[in-house]
Amino acid sequence: MDGAQKKFEAAGANIVLIGQLTPRHAARFRSRQGIGLTVLADEERESYKAAGAKIATMSELIGPRVAAKGLLTSLKTGRAQTRTIGHPAQLGGAMVIAPDGTVVWSHMSDDAGDNAPPEEILEAVRSAAS
Amino acid sequence: MLGAASEQQNSDPPDRADVLAEIVLPDQEGNEVRLGDLWAVRPAALIWLRHYG
Repeated sequence: MDGAQKKFEAAGANIVLIGQLTPRHAARFRSRQGIGLTVLADEERESYKAAGAKIATMSELIGPRVAAKGLLTSLKTGRAQTRTIGHPAQLGGAMVIAPDGTVVWSHMSDDAGDNAPPEEILEAVRSAAS
Repeated sequence: MLGAASEQQNSDPPDRADVLAEIVLPDQEGNEVRLGDLWAVRPAALIWLRHYG
């Protein structure tokens, strides 16, 4: 993830992660993942709502398609999901915002296994910075 | 169960980040960060995690 931070900075952009619950949880997450990125804590999930992130249905959380994607990700990264903290059905996403406040790119998750490819986010950032 | 939605929702990202800009959140050390300051000078990528796990 820190390698990603360098790429984003080289592309001329800021990058932050936003998670549910408290700064203490955010600090623990950073430490466990070994990352130096800023992690913001959104206990009330105010920014999730403003970003249009959705609450998943049960099949979007634990359906066969989601489980298969999760398994593939674990095999690829060598990391498995640990205990869920926060609203269990809250989905995330990613957004690139230009200095004039325009959302130039977004990918909000459709299910628990739907994550924006980092390369796509980086490409959107490069485009916004040019 | 698990706070899941009973009916499928659609994600609904805004075209502009005006509402997001005014939100203030603490970072991992408790320092307050106004989201709009993140893209005031250069673009910003915001990534919402599903969980900290």
